[in-house]
Amino acid sequence: MKLTTLLGLTALSFSTIVLANPIEDQIRIRQSTYAVMGWNTAKIKSQVVDHPATYNKDQVLTAVNTLAALAHSNLLEDLYDVGTDQGSGWKPTRLKVDYFQKQAEVKEINDRLIKETDEFKTIAVSGDVAAIKSQLGKLGATCKSCHDLIRIKE
Amino acid sequence: MRSIKLSVWDWPLRVFHWLLVVAVIGAYTTGKLGGSLTEWHLIIGRLTLGLIVFRLLWGFIGTQSAHFKQFFPTINRLKRYFKGEWHQLGHNPLGALSVFALLFILMALVSTGLFANDDIAYEGPLYPTVGKALSDQLTGWHGALVNFLLGLVVLHVGAIFYYLLHKKINLIRPMITGCKEVPIDEPLHPNNQPGFLRFALATLSAILVVYAVWNSEFRDYLALLAQ
Repeated sequence: MKLTTLLGLTALSFSTIVLANPIEDQIRIRQSTYAVMGWNTAKIKSQVVDHPATYNKDQVLTAVNTLAALAHSNLLEDLYDVGTDQGSGWKPTRLKVDYFQKQAEVKEINDRLIKETDEFKTIAVSGDVAAIKSQLGKLGATCKSCHDLIRIKE
Repeated sequence: MRSIKLSVWDWPLRVFHWLLVVAVIGAYTTGKLGGSLTEWHLIIGRLTLGLIVFRLLWGFIGTQSAHFKQFFPTINRLKRYFKGEWHQLGHNPLGALSVFALLFILMALVSTGLFANDDIAYEGPLYPTVGKALSDQLTGWHGALVNFLLGLVVLHVGAIFYYLLHKKINLIRPMITGCKEVPIDEPLHPNNQPGFLRFALATLSAILVVYAVWNSEFRDYLALLAQ
């Protein structure tokens, strides 16, 4: 009984740590998340836009699944605590100070990101390159709407 | 008053001008909207680079009223213009200031665009030569320069409408037809017949520069030749 309680408490404290990362960790992890998203988006673009001869259905599907998984990863709640508009991860964050006043718009874009990546999965399974290209455009526009809204221009 | 129709703008210059109008509107729109249109933003970037190279060369080997030295806004010319002593065909010294400013901003926009990235899927053709950190910086400048371009475009179009409505001088028609009605005792009769060889040289050079910028293998080959 004592042991179970101890284990339970340990588990609780771990989960608390996972939920509330220090600010710099949150910034670093979200920068990493977007880098992985960029890597996968670039891979899809390379295979369907720049070098169609290299199109590999499985690789594109894997990339789309990765994007969808990250879109569903709850990053808004986990990685954007109050205070994360200041500080440095791999490099200083470019989150605008008024991010926290734009929650409704941010939520709308996040929902759109989830919707577009989910639809992308069905399209990637179909193997229709023209449709993949067009969906990549819709996804890119979603990324851009968020960049324009909450990211400081360099 | 007797008047005579004179050629003010040669046809390559007029084609350049209106293609540049299309390019600026197209680049602005596709840049703002993003998504699939980014593909077009890069294509328009090639067109703009080609047009700028052509115009720079045409400013030296083109016809008389396209020559930079013909309309370079020197202090002396500006003084004469403000005293009302300037009567010549082509760009007046104040307009010339805006022409050089527009060309300069467009050069800066195209140059930074070549190294830019959109943090989504697209990169300018020379992105690999500078790396991400510097590219991000140049991308920032690329975006900021757009505001200067917009300001100059507003001045440019505003001045044209000021001439049209207030001074009753139509500057748009000569940029389409190339001709302007002037008093017969006009002091300057520029020779605006574009030479075919010169036109071919400027056009081919522009195409070559665009090709070299977008084709890394060709760039490597040029680097080898230079060694």
